[in-house]
Amino acid sequence: MAKPSRFEELDQAVTGVLLHPDAPLPADPRLAPLARIAAELTSLPRPAFRARLKSDLERNAPMVTLKESTKHEEAKQPAVNPIPQGYRTVTPYIVAENADGLIEFLKNTFGAEEKLRAIGPAGGRHADLRIEDSALMVGGGGAGLAWKGKPIPSAFHIYVPDCDAVYQRALQQGATSITEPADQPYGERSAGIKDAAGNHWYIATYKGPNYKWEGAPTVQPYMHPLRAGPVMTFLKQAFGAQELGRHASPDGVIHHLMLKIGDSFMEMGEAQGPYQPMPAMYYLYVPDCDAAYQRALQAGATSLSEPADQPYGDRNAGVKDAFGNQWYIATHVKDVAPGQ
Amino acid sequence: MVARAPASQQPPEQTDERLLVEAAQKDPARFADLYEIHFERVYAFIARRVGDRDAAEDLTSDVFHKALANLKRFEWRGVPFGAWLLRIAVNAIVDRSKRHGREIAVDDPPELSTRPGLQQVEDRARLFRLVDELPKNQRHVVVMRFAEQKSIREIAQHLKRSEGAIKQLQFRGLENLRDRFEVLKGDRPKKNVTTKKEKKKSGGRNG
Repeated sequence: MAKPSRFEELDQAVTGVLLHPDAPLPADPRLAPLARIAAELTSLPRPAFRARLKSDLERNAPMVTLKESTKHEEAKQPAVNPIPQGYRTVTPYIVAENADGLIEFLKNTFGAEEKLRAIGPAGGRHADLRIEDSALMVGGGGAGLAWKGKPIPSAFHIYVPDCDAVYQRALQQGATSITEPADQPYGERSAGIKDAAGNHWYIATYKGPNYKWEGAPTVQPYMHPLRAGPVMTFLKQAFGAQELGRHASPDGVIHHLMLKIGDSFMEMGEAQGPYQPMPAMYYLYVPDCDAAYQRALQAGATSLSEPADQPYGDRNAGVKDAFGNQWYIATHVKDVAPGQ
Repeated sequence: MVARAPASQQPPEQTDERLLVEAAQKDPARFADLYEIHFERVYAFIARRVGDRDAAEDLTSDVFHKALANLKRFEWRGVPFGAWLLRIAVNAIVDRSKRHGREIAVDDPPELSTRPGLQQVEDRARLFRLVDELPKNQRHVVVMRFAEQKSIREIAQHLKRSEGAIKQLQFRGLENLRDRFEVLKGDRPKKNVTTKKEKKKSGGRNG
């Protein structure tokens, strides 16, 4: 029988250390120092945890500022966290003619979890869903519902462990293909599908230690404006968005732009081919809804609804930007029982 | 915001750190800079005492959230900011052990790097930061094997490489970490460590 290689021998020592971190190290002087390093690494923190905690702290930092600035104005002191547990700054809101059908599609294709399904004040469906770490709201019509409105589909970049399998599952669930799975030069394998409600899903698996890059949320909203620059300017002025990077071709077309609002990542790619503008709807949690509403109007948005307290515990207002996107700007002010 | 501090850098001088703390006290968004510097140290300190990974993550999260909320209360009286964080960590560990009805021995951390236990924590934190400086393939394997506790087979399937190749990358990664760590501690001259650039020049496939 051949002598095991030093790679094999070290792996046996590593396996031992992982099972019993306090077990004696190998006597072999070539392997012992490496096994010692391995023993130290048994408590190596998970990169995803490190990134998530940083993101949580970034999200909470404005609350600390808010607390400080209102220290002497007790009446204004928020009684609850302005961003409710489980939400980020931006939550996409999809409106579909068959909201119930879309919910089933999201559950069957992406493993979405249903947190709430209720009838909204306009007689239509309202549902809160979660796909892993990302919240999603779905509204609209369905069998037996009185809702009459216009669908508002959207586009998303979604990270999954196996792009090919999820792509196939989406097709089985009635979606149509935009692009078949393929390896991309930017280190992802990705595919595109359109669901029956018209939403685009860019299904991706990151090629790295995890199926999404460190700190990435599972679902990121994706915009396809005619021109990315003016949208970015609006988002900066209205919501303090930060541009994280852009990729443009020599003719100036922006193929990809990454931005962050609060703790939420969003992406843009200027309209081309099958990727045409899809003015979307977003629910945006901020520490001070009234101030953000005013800033959005100053940045050129028009009002859909003035700030008002809602029965579900949020104070919110609605604006429409010059590109057709609707933003419901909210501050959570009171905890209420689920479903109310 | 500062970039994540490379391991080869010593912890910042107190004056630099003082500026960072003051900046964060004025603008809590700057707390992220302090987090980048101290995350590994706090995590290593807690992980050494509680063992269980989920508990270590909960407690680390607790420490940084408390530190952010109470940042205004931190005053410079000759105690480094890192020691203040470890003080919060000690309290969090003791509270947790009381809730679980267990007694636990926790070192008192008045000064960093003055007690053997704390030196070990500091070394481990440096080692954790060194993982970030490994060539990409070695880093992926080390993170998946140790942080995510995946088997060689799982890593091979994920990275679409053979199990033999993964074991080789694991070996190279640990060897590289040992060399870099020895340089950091002054036990070995820097020229003996293969950098990413040198490896590329010599045509090393496993990076």
